[in-house]
Amino acid sequence: MRPDDRKYSPTHEWVKIDGETATVGITDFAVQELSNGNTSDLVYCDLPEVGRSVKAGQTFGEIESVKAVSDLNSPVSGEVVDVNHVIEEHLEVLAKDPWKEGWMVKFKLASKSTEGLMDAAQYEKFVAQAKH
Amino acid sequence: MASWRLITTWGATPEFNMGLDEALLSTAGLPPTLRFYSWKPDTLSLGYFQKLSDVPGAERAGALVRRITGGGAIHHVRELTFSITADLSVGPYAGELRESYARVHAAIARALRAHGVAASLRGVGGLQSDRDHTGMCFHHSTDLDLAWNGRKGVGSAQRRKGGRVLHHGSIKLGSSPLEGDIATLEQGARALTAQEFAPALRAAFEAELGVEFEAAVPEADERELARELGRRYVSQEFVRSR
Repeated sequence: MRPDDRKYSPTHEWVKIDGETATVGITDFAVQELSNGNTSDLVYCDLPEVGRSVKAGQTFGEIESVKAVSDLNSPVSGEVVDVNHVIEEHLEVLAKDPWKEGWMVKFKLASKSTEGLMDAAQYEKFVAQAKH
Repeated sequence: MASWRLITTWGATPEFNMGLDEALLSTAGLPPTLRFYSWKPDTLSLGYFQKLSDVPGAERAGALVRRITGGGAIHHVRELTFSITADLSVGPYAGELRESYARVHAAIARALRAHGVAASLRGVGGLQSDRDHTGMCFHHSTDLDLAWNGRKGVGSAQRRKGGRVLHHGSIKLGSSPLEGDIATLEQGARALTAQEFAPALRAAFEAELGVEFEAAVPEADERELARELGRRYVSQEFVRSR
């Protein structure tokens, strides 16, 4: 079971809300899709600068594996207040721990709406369907 | 049987080729589209995240573009280039990412077989065409790459955006000085032009993907968007952005 302290997007990002701040990353499923279990398959990750405003559903960054370049879509609306630049240089951190050490961006929330996002149980079902 | 569009544009400019692919990727609701194309002039395309300085041969290549798909650089000379744009819920792209490569490569292998080339997935281990420090796509291989004669002969990369996918592919018909010692159709069987190879590839996609193609030309709004988007691909700002 995936962490139940956060919400999940259909494009496989997670968001953990703590007061006015939201921490965003990508799920283990996304990492597995991109890397197929090979950490070295993750090649590049571009994250935004602090201060950028992003609306829910908009792209906040990009990630490349040897298989595909994929957009990173924000599950929430807000302003970027912190970026985990460590993973841009060390994608193995993301591959090893997408839930905690592999967080990507922190937003100051413009809205606490989590419309269209799933809880952990709903995401489990969503991922099970995506595999078929 | 699902119906896909087939758009063929031989000898198009680099900006048109890249602009049209992005137009087809970024327009929601478009039907799945397979494109066959070639380039005029000969062009080297960089992978989206590649540093220009990591491709020593780039400055000798003539025209330069940066793709929005990942992977290494490709010298688009004596090859058939294809693109597929579709919703991620469609046919070969529904399900796991790896599987989408396997399905598309099965179609290409079938087309190559029709011309006497026994191509197969690389699987475990390296290839004789693997090289360090060239930055070229064909000098780097993964288990899903198609190879014959122990060398890579097909390049493939995807961009996934907004629930859609752009899948770029390059099938080498002959060699380029920037891509030495790779597999080509000429070396595996006989020399063919892209136009001569295209019918076998179309038939193979139909058979392997269970689709039928309707020959089409880009709609007026797609051409307009392609022109607009295409400018970026040849701009120095974008090409030399990394």
